[in-house]
Amino acid sequence: MLVRRSIPLILWCLATAAQPVSAQQTAARGAAFQGGAAEPVGATLPFWNVDLSTAKGGAAPRGVTPLQRDLFTSDDFYVDRELWKDPRYFRCNSPVSLDSMWGDYTTGPKTITGDDPKSGPWGHCERDTPRSALLSPYGFDSAAEHYAALRAEAAAAGGPIVPDYDSLAGWQARYTRNLDIEFEAGGLTRMQAAQRVAIPPEYHEQPQWLIGHLSQTSTILSLLTDEYQTRFVQQLYHVAHYNTRQWSLMYCRPEGFMREWSGPGFGGLDVIALPNLVVLGSGGNQDRYVYVGREFVEDGVVPRLGDDVRRWLGETVGFWHDANTLVTWTSNVRGWFTHASFEHSDELQTIEIFKRRFADDGRYLGLEHEAIFYDAQALVAPVRTLRFLARVGGLTDGPPKTFTHCQQTIFPIEGKPRHVAPGQIIEYEVPGYDRPWAVIFERFEGEMQRPAKPDIFSFD
Amino acid sequence: MSSLRAVILSLSLAAFAGGASAHHSFAMFDRMQTRTFTGVVSSVDPGPDHLQIFFAMMNEQRDGVVRDAEGKPVLWSLELTGAASVAKYGITVTGFPPGTVFSGALHPARDGEPAGVLYRNRDNQGVLFKCPARVRPAVGKHCDSVEGATLHGNDTALPEPTR
Repeated sequence: MLVRRSIPLILWCLATAAQPVSAQQTAARGAAFQGGAAEPVGATLPFWNVDLSTAKGGAAPRGVTPLQRDLFTSDDFYVDRELWKDPRYFRCNSPVSLDSMWGDYTTGPKTITGDDPKSGPWGHCERDTPRSALLSPYGFDSAAEHYAALRAEAAAAGGPIVPDYDSLAGWQARYTRNLDIEFEAGGLTRMQAAQRVAIPPEYHEQPQWLIGHLSQTSTILSLLTDEYQTRFVQQLYHVAHYNTRQWSLMYCRPEGFMREWSGPGFGGLDVIALPNLVVLGSGGNQDRYVYVGREFVEDGVVPRLGDDVRRWLGETVGFWHDANTLVTWTSNVRGWFTHASFEHSDELQTIEIFKRRFADDGRYLGLEHEAIFYDAQALVAPVRTLRFLARVGGLTDGPPKTFTHCQQTIFPIEGKPRHVAPGQIIEYEVPGYDRPWAVIFERFEGEMQRPAKPDIFSFD
Repeated sequence: MSSLRAVILSLSLAAFAGGASAHHSFAMFDRMQTRTFTGVVSSVDPGPDHLQIFFAMMNEQRDGVVRDAEGKPVLWSLELTGAASVAKYGITVTGFPPGTVFSGALHPARDGEPAGVLYRNRDNQGVLFKCPARVRPAVGKHCDSVEGATLHGNDTALPEPTR
């Protein structure tokens, strides 16, 4: 809502190009994105409301030889594992495209024709964001190692510091992603869109690959361990075949940690920065607290601050490299999913660097946000994303924040999200804690060769 | 120890079995009935207000779990207090993974549904016993009788059942 009301003020900074204004690079932070000018890959591009299909109705694009069996024709994706490596198995669609081709979101074009998955459209086989650009450019095996290196860099520079309140005054603000500004612009009329002012290069933002629209699905899968590849293909198969989209809302559960980096799940960021505590207030009261100067306990399964209980948004410690740079380490995250993206495990940890960006004339523009994801269960190697959070106003500007999680409007009925009216009686299966979406997916899997699970109730 | 810290500590100990800091009534459970059981964990939901253990009760012979007419395990829910407070006693998702054999005592639901709240004594103390991995107690016994079992809670023994 803040973005909508701020369009006149912020449209001028619609950023798509120009020279990167990157943070100072060190051995542990600030490396530039090496993926070039990434382009949308798939046939379906929600948010911008664009149909990018290169072929529809089951036909293949000119020059592309389709596989005999792919995600849209297969009756058992489990046995197709070797084919997952080939972008053609997904008809050169990105995860977001597969997720939305039945007409997702209010702006998503429907690219499946006739409600027949075999008619699944093709995306651009010639496009991709290189895998190397998605991986962390730093040579650390763990978040702990990375955090220690960043702290050593701070020490070498005379830090970490304990800033005073006045030196943090500039941090206190509301921010948005360039991406959200673009989403909003996508809903404008053509005339309004034509009136956009070119974006100054200082607002540059690196491609947001983690949203899932800039990579071939096979490339994203190559980042994942075997188990998490299977989980992701399971999600995409069921969504593309049966339109059985799953949302946390259907189970009255929070959205999970990675929602922050999803396409529509951000909702703005309010930053309240104190010398010993930083509140990162994201949309829907998905607030994260950075405990500055505190240390994790490392005697358990994962580093943590509190009791041995995974938290939806984890627990975060951090330090001030200087008054313009905050370094954080998040751990103790509850494993979960966000649709159109891969699942993360309880072992997920992040290193994040928030650095203030200024224009040449000294104007404060916003925060560069670099995040490196470590998850030995889900990822074969750490990955990294960079984004820019543009300052859009003071903390008290715009409408007040609202609590949005678990205000249930849809229910899982026969595996699909359905709206029900007051007074309507439905058959409702209580979802469990452990991957409730997968329990629903499995209902549709019939005779598929799903990996067997141990019978925990048998003592034979 | 400062008096404030002592108060905080005593509150956290008292919170083990629920009730003191509960966010819903426990009138749905029959506090006059106490049932001891040994069961097999299906899953643990670490809710911040109430951790729940879902499990199937073992039969008296301890060679399997109680099943319904279709042969499916009858799943019970056991409600404790918040996940953080019972984590102090090792009652966590990772501490009680699926397949864990454990014993405890509960006050059953009044309506006969397979649900209960963990028994606690007048001092708000409660306890679970966890058998070693995939080890079952002898016929009619509980995990507190098994060598290598671990105690999870601030009580030291299972209560006498009322039935």
